[in-house]
Amino acid sequence: MLHYATRRLLGLTLVWAVALIVTFFAVRAVPGDPIMVMLSDHAGDAALEARLRADYGLDRPLPVQFLAYIGDVLNGTFGLSYRYVGSTVIDVIRDGMTITPLLALSALFIAVPLGLFFGVFAAVRAGSWADTGIILLLVTFISIPSFALAALLVWMLSLKLALLPVAGWGSPAQLVLPVTVLVVGPMAVIARLTRTYMLEVLDRDFVRTARAKGVRENRVIWRHALGNTMVPIVTSIGLIFGGLLSGAFVVETVFNIPGLGRIAIDSVLARDYPVTMSIVLLFTVFYSLINLCVDLIYAWLDPRIRFDEAAA
Amino acid sequence: MPIDLKKALGATALATAILAGSGSAMAADLRVNIAADPSMIDPITYSELIAGQVISNMYESFTAIDADGQVIPALAESWEPLEGNLGFRFKLREGVKFHSGREFTAEDVKFSFEELLRPGNKAGLNAPYLDVVVGADAMKDGSADTLSGVTVVDDYTVEVAFTRPDVLFPIYPIYLFDSGIVEEAGPEWYNKVSAGTGAFKFENWSRGQKVELAAHADYWGGAPAIDGVEFVVIPSPETAMAMFETGDLDVMVVDGPSMRRVLGNPELKERAITAARAQVRYLAMNSDLYEPFKDKRVREAVCRSLDQDAMIAGLYSGAAKPLYGQVTEGVAGYNPDLPKIEYDPEKAKALLAEAGYPNGEGLPPVKLSTTEPNKNQHLYFASQLQEVLNMPVDVELVERGTHLKSINSGQTPFFAWGWSAGYPDGLYFLSQLWYSDSPYNRGWKNAEFDALIDKASMTADNKERYAIYHEAEGMLMDDWGTCPLPVSTLMATVRDGVSGVAIQPFGLVPFADVTIAE
Repeated sequence: MLHYATRRLLGLTLVWAVALIVTFFAVRAVPGDPIMVMLSDHAGDAALEARLRADYGLDRPLPVQFLAYIGDVLNGTFGLSYRYVGSTVIDVIRDGMTITPLLALSALFIAVPLGLFFGVFAAVRAGSWADTGIILLLVTFISIPSFALAALLVWMLSLKLALLPVAGWGSPAQLVLPVTVLVVGPMAVIARLTRTYMLEVLDRDFVRTARAKGVRENRVIWRHALGNTMVPIVTSIGLIFGGLLSGAFVVETVFNIPGLGRIAIDSVLARDYPVTMSIVLLFTVFYSLINLCVDLIYAWLDPRIRFDEAAA
Repeated sequence: MPIDLKKALGATALATAILAGSGSAMAADLRVNIAADPSMIDPITYSELIAGQVISNMYESFTAIDADGQVIPALAESWEPLEGNLGFRFKLREGVKFHSGREFTAEDVKFSFEELLRPGNKAGLNAPYLDVVVGADAMKDGSADTLSGVTVVDDYTVEVAFTRPDVLFPIYPIYLFDSGIVEEAGPEWYNKVSAGTGAFKFENWSRGQKVELAAHADYWGGAPAIDGVEFVVIPSPETAMAMFETGDLDVMVVDGPSMRRVLGNPELKERAITAARAQVRYLAMNSDLYEPFKDKRVREAVCRSLDQDAMIAGLYSGAAKPLYGQVTEGVAGYNPDLPKIEYDPEKAKALLAEAGYPNGEGLPPVKLSTTEPNKNQHLYFASQLQEVLNMPVDVELVERGTHLKSINSGQTPFFAWGWSAGYPDGLYFLSQLWYSDSPYNRGWKNAEFDALIDKASMTADNKERYAIYHEAEGMLMDDWGTCPLPVSTLMATVRDGVSGVAIQPFGLVPFADVTIAE
């Protein structure tokens, strides 16, 4: 197990290296020039342009810039931001680095149990009016775009009823709406998956055996049946987390939250390459680590899975 | 990776306390929206309008602009020109205290100028104003360590010598700062503390969220009545509007689509304060790049095909004023008596026919270039020109940086753009956009006009100088060198109980005199 985890981590560093290289060159392939953004109305002032290019090292050949960037990543500053004069990238993204994972993880921790509950609840009542009602609701939740839901909730709860703040960050009350908007979609997806897998499993022999042995129905459903659907569900949770991270882009913009998503959008518009690259890299790291956790959870969920043997 | 968890938790705890109902403790902070995170908060690298809103509350210059848009003495009490207008002797205000508590003296003026010119300091918008000072070049190329053109006569008198006359120097918004700051806070002071004399000092900057300023108790104009200012970063105008409506903002700077909502809502409209923006707009027609523009009649036909009143109603929701020259209302030297440019399709058609292009026949195709945010306006121009003149015009969208480079190097034949004044005087617009040698010349050049601008920059007497502007501006308009376009309105709304908030053509007046009723 430990052996497997180490090997996976080594593999991940390779993924990160590729992400680093790809973002470095992809960001530069986008039309636009950070120096032109800095010059703004003064574009055309050749002396100023040359000075700025030299100040930011953009007059050097690309491979040299790339090596310098690797140095900046390794020393933990991620280089100097182009937009924020005199600030390092880490200074620009430090606050955001606590915000976006907090949003995505709290949404995940709410969406998973709720999704499992509704999925199981619907599956054991398959065909009933309650099942149909839940399916309808879930389809609505999956279909509604998050920005529309956000606008609806703000209009109802903030503007009309004055229960929650419109936007912003810093208080628990300001967390309620963004997390709700983030939770709804993934929760519905998890519930739909759970229902489908549960229906399959509930027909299997071991469930019948458990019931025949006289195991209490609750235990049959939550332990025997749900336990056996966990591997595919956990796999999809890994993928859903990616959706939550990108969902944070929308939610942060709508609710004016200074997280990585909004910083990323600002940085793309300002051609602030170092900030964009660093955020893409961070997202890659979060996402791949979550998926590594998912893989490790398999072994715990299903003792039949033995990584080291499988790898051999 | 150093994530400051303690700070994050602390902020949450504090916010919880506020939420729990102790809101009154914070009520004396004025909450204002800004549309983006400022790129800097220091007077050296200062180079964008948004940062300017924050910085102008912390830093001051020789002069300031009052609520009526008039230039008033600030850190300089008076000034007199040196011989031949080759510089100024400034008498500085006494008893002015920096945020550090140190006193403001002539040494600080010298220090500020030198820091702005020092190579490697990434100086922004204010540095070019010093180009005229003796010794500036030597400082910029690193061959001198001090600025020879600045002489400290005594603590409250400083002389600045020029290489050529520049009568407007005292009104340039060059922020002056504390010469003791590097010793106190280190060479990287600029993101940590403020070193100005303004009514507010820097307190905290939560990136992407807000910039907090605290009242400067020793402010020479009297300590502010409010505890501080909180600039809340809100990129979306809709969110700003919702926050103003729920009482989460005291002052809302209104932008874009929200203008229509404010003007359409009697309750909000009543709370609005406005000023004509110090930004000229114009349609540039470069005759070197499009042959028909060489004929004055074609240029006039283009201008007479555009209906400024329709534009104001349709594109600006009413929040704009027509412009008939190239100096905007509220900026010194504005001429209110310029003849109105009538929308006159019949005359436009006739002029085009006279110029040899009846019903647009023989006009080569031309591209009207712009950036995405200005698309609608240009689609309007193109449709008017096609409809009235049958002119073969196509709108071309260009990435902003590329567009600016192209227009600033005179490679775009036909485009509309704006130009914000850097200092409160009409000479800015006239000399930057229409003076032949300006790097930003927009395609119309005239030697007589240039001579007038040269003369104006050497005329110290305001009245006399404004008369020269009027003559030059008249020359530009008589020759149809450009079509002036509507000037948009600056607008802010103010919550009940907040008073003393004022707006002038450059933005909100610093909040030194604002009060908030409990």
